[in-house]
Amino acid sequence: MDTPAQEISYYILFGNYTQGLALQALLKQEGLTARIAPTPRNLEGSQPCGMSLLVKQEDIDAVRACIEKHGAEYLRIVEAVNQIRPGRNRFC
Amino acid sequence: MADYLEMWKNLGMDVETHDQLCQVLPTAFGDVYLSQENRPEAMGFWDFVVSEIHGIRPSELIAAQKNGQKVFGTFCVYVPDEVVIAANGIVTGLCGGSQFWVPGGEKVLPKSTCPLIKASVGARLDRTCPFFRIADMYVGETTCDGKKKAWEILGQDVPMHIMDIPQMKREKDIQKWAEEIADFAKVVEEFTGNKITVESLNAAIHTINEKRKAMARVYAATKGANLPISGKDRLLMTQIAFFDDPTRCAEMCNKLADELDQRNKDGVSVFPVGTKRILLTGTPLAIPNWKLHHIIETSGAAVVCEEMCTGTRYFENLVDETQTTLEGQFMALSQRYMKNNCACFTPNTGRIDDIVRLAKEYNVDGVIDVNLKFCCLYDTEGYTVEKAMKEAGIPVLGIETDYTDTDAEQLRTRIGAFIELLK
Repeated sequence: MDTPAQEISYYILFGNYTQGLALQALLKQEGLTARIAPTPRNLEGSQPCGMSLLVKQEDIDAVRACIEKHGAEYLRIVEAVNQIRPGRNRFC
Repeated sequence: MADYLEMWKNLGMDVETHDQLCQVLPTAFGDVYLSQENRPEAMGFWDFVVSEIHGIRPSELIAAQKNGQKVFGTFCVYVPDEVVIAANGIVTGLCGGSQFWVPGGEKVLPKSTCPLIKASVGARLDRTCPFFRIADMYVGETTCDGKKKAWEILGQDVPMHIMDIPQMKREKDIQKWAEEIADFAKVVEEFTGNKITVESLNAAIHTINEKRKAMARVYAATKGANLPISGKDRLLMTQIAFFDDPTRCAEMCNKLADELDQRNKDGVSVFPVGTKRILLTGTPLAIPNWKLHHIIETSGAAVVCEEMCTGTRYFENLVDETQTTLEGQFMALSQRYMKNNCACFTPNTGRIDDIVRLAKEYNVDGVIDVNLKFCCLYDTEGYTVEKAMKEAGIPVLGIETDYTDTDAEQLRTRIGAFIELLK
């Protein structure tokens, strides 16, 4: 059930959710997919919970190019390995 | 990210303890929700709400309070939102769906109390839920003994109004509930300083009916063979409906329903053809309780409907909008709310009828009857549910669980075996 080993995804972190929603709209305009995700604490550091954009490995280069082209605002992009594991059985 | 620390501190929250929840919630949400493929795009709204779950809606409520509005925290689908909205008040759900809050409740309640009640009390007393800090008044009800005693403890800490729900469904009980609603209206008027008029109550009834219709559209989308949305996504929509502004809720649910209708036309499904269809029935699943849906939907089946307070009981049946007096409106509200079939009533044959009807409407392969540990009412009614399902020829599995992770593997084994038997 677990995600296969070494599945890489990317989380785009923002200073505020307005930046995040703006980038998501921009990516959609360019035909790119990014899902809104609560930012995992291990990626976020000490900041309180909030939104990020989750991008698949195969899309990250195009997303980075789009960000650069439009000068979109964001905090940083973090690579995550096996972050999502549906078989972990850890609930809240 | 958005910095809500200052707001939480101003609310008197224990931010250090609350931070423990912030640490685990994103991971659980990722595992349960973001592991899914091909989700409806409109679910982005609910993903966003979860991302900012203790920030964005609390900020809105605080802003409304600054404009003179009062916030009422409620625990049960029998409390009529319409009355509060008619007095320009706001209704919000309260925290109660996580193991995180349970130990706080166990400090004052017996361990043999259901996790929903323990978590609710713990969230308030431990100061780890912004909604519990924000609400100006709490509206409890007498739907079980555990709650009745919990209100006495909670009432020492917060202002509470208790609605006395009838235990039977005779005409005089419906009349009694109408009177109880009228009494509640007086309390709300006094507390808000706003008069409830026929016009304001009719507008509120319309608003909530529209929300119910929108939610019903989303549920209807999984009645056919094609499954355009997972059960857990639909559950998330329902869970957040308890907290959101009702007009925005209706708008977002309708947007989702439009997408699901289109997916059904295009044959877009989130499950393979032949996936077994499960109706979940029983005790409510308050946010962030996603355990059972996740286990079922990662074991080869799909939850196509919930006969629960966090399901059909929340939106089925509309309130009559044609009444022209407050007395008539209170009765119309009572008639609608008393159609809900909670295990607190005796007899409660209406619930059995509902389960059989929904099993047919959603063309289910099996029913899973879930009981939150120590919920004596639903546990006892499980006997009748299982007997009725067997008589109707519908496979049924009874499950008892709580909010902990410890039984997840055992549940996976039992549920997996049940689904296997459906094949």
